[in-house]
Amino acid sequence: MSTTSQKHRDFVGEPMGDKSVTSLSGIGEILGKKLEQQGFDKAYVVLGQFLLLKKDSEMFSEWLKDASGANSRQAGSCSQCLREWCDSFL
Amino acid sequence: MSSLRSKTVKEMSDLLDEYEIKHGPVVDSTRSLYERKLKEAMAKGKKAKPSPDQTYYREEEEVTYEYRTPDRSDGAGDSGSYIRSRPAWSERELKHETSYSNYSRPKPEYGGKEFSDEPHMYDLPPTSKSPYLKSTPGPPKEAPKAPPSSRLVPLWVQFVFFVAVAVFLYLVFSSMETNEPIKGIE
Repeated sequence: MSTTSQKHRDFVGEPMGDKSVTSLSGIGEILGKKLEQQGFDKAYVVLGQFLLLKKDSEMFSEWLKDASGANSRQAGSCSQCLREWCDSFL
Repeated sequence: MSSLRSKTVKEMSDLLDEYEIKHGPVVDSTRSLYERKLKEAMAKGKKAKPSPDQTYYREEEEVTYEYRTPDRSDGAGDSGSYIRSRPAWSERELKHETSYSNYSRPKPEYGGKEFSDEPHMYDLPPTSKSPYLKSTPGPPKEAPKAPPSSRLVPLWVQFVFFVAVAVFLYLVFSSMETNEPIKGIE
């Protein structure tokens, strides 16, 4: 828990509802814009992609890097964030 | 090599399975990712299609491992095969760090069954030590048996030490029996 950011803890602690992509851990303004351009305008859409990839962290990280230009750390962070959210709420 | 773009969803799915790439549905948003993955997999060199033989080998490995584990526990008693008793001895070495293992090591073929029970009988009076002295023919047999173990203290030194300790204890014990004539504490 101590190694996760506040953003991570905020996201993972409650249902995501209509939160925007930038509320995901690892996704800031720039990455968020890129994702929105491709139609991933809400966190739940990115969740949808995560689920399509069968919740495989590695696959999702690769996809995210391709889609938004995220680096390994950011992609890993987002991946872990979604995985934990799924563990709690899915 | 036909273009991956032209493949149907089913074909893509089959290809991904062939390369043992865990995948979800091939839809618009996942397609390009899977195409890239397949390109990388193909570039690395084709893995063979998942054939039933591979699974059989795995089963064989698992099966032989399962067969081996009970053998290890009984391996001490079975003096028939060299290979099985070796891991048994090395395990016992680890378990019994005392000189017990020293007795059992030179004798795996010598009558392995009796000596595997012997470790529990080391508290007997020294008369039982005479069979142990017969272990001198043991060392030549030790060569194929004992794995090259790096001992700080040679085996025979431990042997002599144990005998010396046993003799000492016997002397102490026997000297304690002579208290009867001394009845000064009454």
